[in-house]
Amino acid sequence: MTRREAGRAVLGGSAPAQQRTGRPLPFGDDRHLQAHQWLVDEAYLLDSGEYESWLDLLADDIHYHMPVRVTTALGAGFDTAPGMAHFDEDKYSLSRRVARFMTEHAWTEDPPSRQRHFVTNVRTFATQDADHLIAESAVLLFRSRGDVNEAALVSAGREDLLRRAGPGWLLARRTITVDESVIRMQNLAVFL
Amino acid sequence: MTAANGSGGSPEPGLSDLVGNVRNGMIPAHIYNDRAVFELEAERVFGRSWIFVGHESEIPAPGDYVVRRVLKDSFIVVRDEAGQVRAHFNMCLHRGMQVCRAEMGNASHFRCPYHGWSYRNDGRLVGLPFHQDAYGGEAGFGRKNQRLLPAPKLDTYNGLIFICLDPEAEPLPDFLGDFRFYLDYYTKQSAAGIELRGPQRWRIKANWKIGAENFAGDMYHTPQTHASVVEIGLFREPRAEKRKDGATYWAGSGGGTTYKLPPGTFAERLRYVGYPDQMIEQMKQSWSAAQQRVIGADGFMISAASLYPNMSFVHNWPRVGTSEDVLPFISIRQWQPVSENETEVLSWFAVDAVAPEEFKKLSYKAYLMCFGSSGMFEQDDVENWVSLTSTAGGSMARRLLLNSRMGLLCDGAAVATALSAAQFAGPGSARVGYSEHNQRALLNRWADDIATPVPCPGPAGTGSAPMRAGEVPA
Repeated sequence: MTRREAGRAVLGGSAPAQQRTGRPLPFGDDRHLQAHQWLVDEAYLLDSGEYESWLDLLADDIHYHMPVRVTTALGAGFDTAPGMAHFDEDKYSLSRRVARFMTEHAWTEDPPSRQRHFVTNVRTFATQDADHLIAESAVLLFRSRGDVNEAALVSAGREDLLRRAGPGWLLARRTITVDESVIRMQNLAVFL
Repeated sequence: MTAANGSGGSPEPGLSDLVGNVRNGMIPAHIYNDRAVFELEAERVFGRSWIFVGHESEIPAPGDYVVRRVLKDSFIVVRDEAGQVRAHFNMCLHRGMQVCRAEMGNASHFRCPYHGWSYRNDGRLVGLPFHQDAYGGEAGFGRKNQRLLPAPKLDTYNGLIFICLDPEAEPLPDFLGDFRFYLDYYTKQSAAGIELRGPQRWRIKANWKIGAENFAGDMYHTPQTHASVVEIGLFREPRAEKRKDGATYWAGSGGGTTYKLPPGTFAERLRYVGYPDQMIEQMKQSWSAAQQRVIGADGFMISAASLYPNMSFVHNWPRVGTSEDVLPFISIRQWQPVSENETEVLSWFAVDAVAPEEFKKLSYKAYLMCFGSSGMFEQDDVENWVSLTSTAGGSMARRLLLNSRMGLLCDGAAVATALSAAQFAGPGSARVGYSEHNQRALLNRWADDIATPVPCPGPAGTGSAPMRAGEVPA
């Protein structure tokens, strides 16, 4: 693993590869409105712990990736840890994470956290394929556990690939660009 | 205890009581959240122990560096142009600015942003703006022989880089002692050794000792804390009846846990945990006969372990897909203390450098699913440790001695006898079943250290006429 490969996921080699084209779609564009609504609806599911419903929104070939950010000199040419990520997931591994929350022994979320995903800065881009959109967003996750410890925040940018599926959209790829090199949250028993 | 000598007629027991209770396996609960204890640890544990700061595979080329800390001391761990690994205290000799503010990268020089003093990556001072005008040139302030303060001691084992802040400390091989036998399982599966990736870093509101103790010997928590990972089919081993068949061992400065494997040869048992034949062949070349016997004849496979004071290891073999196949992974981690109630976890994925590429990928996937910032094992561990730490900070915790005597009868005799050399080929002391022998071994070592002051080295001055303790400046 060389430094040049930093930022590239180790897994997800067969992930869908559609890329954005052109300028962001106007906010009044129907595709932008649909993408924005999808993100807000998703945030609702995550905040309310409806993880099985959330899983239904993910394409079977999804790649869900959250690189580890590192502080590097300006001009170093990379700002993620080579060959490492917080999440580098496919549908199976995400389904195990959800299945674990459904057991009676996932202590880290029993009692459950109070979560709020604040989603903003949404920009939507067309791809070369009418059935795929790129949606960019910023997410701020507020997570409070119990009544003693302070709440924790995670701030991140996201780039999502949405795929048209019938009347709605599925998430086919997500890259989460977290804004801290050292996460100030006791674990990532959450989805961003 | 609020200070080494007790404080002002306080009814709280002093240091000798604390140490005595620890040695008796009754752990004063407040040691997991006590500022005074933490200050003692900073001086007497982290000021004298060999501390892991990275692996050579993280800095393969000349100029490659990572910045790592020992508590508050920042070190640039760098490979110089001659290929030598060094650790420089990350503080400019002039006004004390950090000369490197990145976490990793490649540099031939480190230049202080404050006044522009610059240092080669071997630590030597080479650039001093206005050297002639401001300092009178070499005659006034000799640049020669000036260098960033080196870590007092640095040594490596299997590519693991350790530094020690005590210049009088015993050599690294002596410090590690017989734990090296077990370190090889994690770090020398072939002559090429491991490559380390990461670390993931995150902060938990938990005392650093809890993780070190847990990884050292806590097989007892596995079936309870990690019940969910068995239920979802991620890892089949930790069922309670199976976990207690494993052995724990303590040797030198570390100890760990094992699983008992089904009958089979060395190769069959390594295949059982998911190693391809190509890697098993390498292990046969790399490991001693005794190291192979622990697996092949005695039937024990290493799992978690800790090296005193704050480095841990894990080796598990979960399922990473819909098939029944399992994949082994190795993680190396450090419990970096931030304060008495906060720890930065650094968690690396380690894999044999010459393992097949497909194995490396799947092993990495296994790691991410199980351990690290998002790992499904780790999530539940941390929840427990945060809760423990929070509760340990109050006044009632000062009245409570936690019972850490598992494996001992009232009279101090062991519940289970130590395994003989014929039953367990590894060095040190090993026993089958649930116990807290290892946690006690770790905390006894800790108690030895906090009861013993570390002589404070004098300052190393800068300049052509450095002032030393007891000398009068010219």
